Amino acid sequence: MADDTVALTTARRAGAGAGTPAPAPAPGRPRKRWTRLNWIGLGFAMPAIAYIGIFSIIPVVYGLVLSFTSYSPLSRSGPVFNGVSNYAHIFEDGDFWKSLWVTARYVLQVLPPTVVIALLLAVLVSRPFRGVGFVRSALYIPQIVSLTAVSMIWLWLYSQNGFVNEVLNAVGLSDQHWLISQSAALNAASVMRIWKALGSNMVLLMAGMQSIPKDLYEAARVDGANGWQQFRHVTLPGLRSMLVYVVAMDIIFLAQGFAEIYVLTQGGPLGSTTTANYLIYQQAFQYNQLGSASSMAFVLFALIAGVSLLSMRGMLGRRSS
Amino acid sequence: MGVISRRKVAAASIGMLAAAVLALTGCSSNSSTSGDTASGSSKHLTVWFPGNDPNESKYVEQTMVPKFERETGAKVDVTFVDYTNLSPKLNAAFAAGSAPDVFGHGAAAVADFVKNDRIEPLDSDVEKLSASDRKDLANALAGAKVDGKQYMIPLQMQGWLLMYNKKDFTEAGLDPNAPPTTWEAVKSDAEKLTKRDSSGKITRSGLLLQTEATGRQQSFATLIASAGGSQLNKKGTKATFDSAAGEKALQYFVSLYQGPDAVATNLGQDYLNEPTAQQPLVTGDAAMTIQTAQGASKIAAAYPNGDWGVVQPPKFAGQSEGYAFGGSGPGMMINKDSKNKTLAWKFIEFMIDPANYNGYIKTIGGVPNRSSALSTAYVKNSPVLGAWLKASSQWVPNPNVPNWVQARDTLDKYLEQALNKVVTPKQALKQAASEVDGILSANG
Repeated sequence: MADDTVALTTARRAGAGAGTPAPAPAPGRPRKRWTRLNWIGLGFAMPAIAYIGIFSIIPVVYGLVLSFTSYSPLSRSGPVFNGVSNYAHIFEDGDFWKSLWVTARYVLQVLPPTVVIALLLAVLVSRPFRGVGFVRSALYIPQIVSLTAVSMIWLWLYSQNGFVNEVLNAVGLSDQHWLISQSAALNAASVMRIWKALGSNMVLLMAGMQSIPKDLYEAARVDGANGWQQFRHVTLPGLRSMLVYVVAMDIIFLAQGFAEIYVLTQGGPLGSTTTANYLIYQQAFQYNQLGSASSMAFVLFALIAGVSLLSMRGMLGRRSS
Repeated sequence: MGVISRRKVAAASIGMLAAAVLALTGCSSNSSTSGDTASGSSKHLTVWFPGNDPNESKYVEQTMVPKFERETGAKVDVTFVDYTNLSPKLNAAFAAGSAPDVFGHGAAAVADFVKNDRIEPLDSDVEKLSASDRKDLANALAGAKVDGKQYMIPLQMQGWLLMYNKKDFTEAGLDPNAPPTTWEAVKSDAEKLTKRDSSGKITRSGLLLQTEATGRQQSFATLIASAGGSQLNKKGTKATFDSAAGEKALQYFVSLYQGPDAVATNLGQDYLNEPTAQQPLVTGDAAMTIQTAQGASKIAAAYPNGDWGVVQPPKFAGQSEGYAFGGSGPGMMINKDSKNKTLAWKFIEFMIDPANYNGYIKTIGGVPNRSSALSTAYVKNSPVLGAWLKASSQWVPNPNVPNWVQARDTLDKYLEQALNKVVTPKQALKQAASEVDGILSANG
């Protein structure tokens, strides 16, 4: 491969010298020239570039454009530019702020237990014992089932005559209104989401733990460190990068909570589970106000990006200090 | 191959990106001439049915469509879309120019389609029906008009009536064959039917109305009409539910769930859409519940030994007549951009032809859209359907105005607050009316 590159470059130099006059060098920074090899490389990259462009960048840019318009998909007239009025409106919209608070609460009550329990499980299943493969698979299964399907199952579990209430009745406790009580609905959804997220977090943290050099544990043992001290001073510092990734990804996914809310509670009761994403869905697809929904989506995007960056800087910053 | 500057490469890249944007824009264009529905030829029809009833989809796909295809030589692609996803999918399809030739939806959705010029007026087609057909379908057709024009052909009528377990009535010392005729009497009977445990917690509701999202508003629509009020003015431009009748209706609704004499529990539960075996009437969790004709038919069919009764729409004391939420049910519309409008109408005509329709309505257990159905064996043999047909003159539909979904959800939000005692009924109606007026004002 290296020989081919040299040959191509040599041939091109020769060609340029023989026939084609070399372009005059630009003043200042030298202009980079595109060679055949560059074009071949671009050709290989084009499918990925096209995929990202068409399915990620263009829709995002189009969404941003829509956020400055009034647009109903049913309308034949198409989007009508209305400046920043969508943004002005949502900042006065109490429902939007309430939905942001519900979203924040949802993230805050799902994230810590998800990370902590996943870490404990990762520690547990990192050790060899009989049936460890089965336990790992069983813990990971919720992750590979679609969130909508899982939510349907939990809808039944939480229903008035569902499994959870049957269990309560069996031990002499009374029924609970899991999904129709204002005080219980978001907690019920959170429990489901914690269960769902454990598997992937556990696998990521387990992978992080396996990358920690065994020498460090041996050295710690030689120095007389007990199990907790090894975990505190070897495992946790070694996992910091992976923990940052897990926390950042969880914030991003949880702050976009929609499917479980849609299936379990439809945003109720009394809006206690109306997350920002659910409100965006309502605006866009129930009320056909795509412009307003897009502006909400971009505010949510900015908030998620900000919180994720802050959490990453906070955690990585400690390491650098 | 020559050397190419970075500027040229950047220009080429921007060009390709622009081409992709244009291509996408073209894909999502909502040009009025799109009409490129999934059916490309004049013998190819795409039809979206609303709902996800497995019996209905089996009958339509395996019996009705093959028969229509044999008779016309056409090819029909049928898709069933559940109600929750129907509007989003239709909106996306209209925006993309790929909406079906024929589609079904509830009557309350028609006005928005009309406002956006998305559906075909059907008056000239209806005119071609025989006079006896038009007379037979008159009740159903009347509820599917916007500004006097026919835009939808309802496939069934729908309505909410109170269904009760006669054994519970007898056990409570009530006459099972003389159900209450006023809402005040309904509450009084419900108090006798309500069971509590030693702590006072309700273990059997005497009466259940629908209190889940959307259902709350429909229960309120029943009560306010029976109290002599209305939700919107006749033009559909202003909320009228913030009235004495509205307050009376909402006070009554709240009293069913709150206070020492409450007769219902599980506020917010959507029991109506649960499977037949989970219906509160069947499980014994309630003695009297609001039911649809389809739900009642399923209960009666699944539990033939049950002793079920149906209450005709009660009125509030002092009113001349009671009403219940209902009217023209879901029906079929024709996409204005369809290239197969003639075939599309043929399909609708085929659906409502008694030779095909009677089997369909029997399969779904609904209330027929034809008055003559009273004499069919399907209705005569049903222990419950006669009651629904008898009540058909007392059904009140939701207003058929643009932006109704948003107006309805706004009202619903405040009804929920009142039912949970976050605000008083008076405050709820006042605040809801103010916001609903703002939403309706956008209709011009």
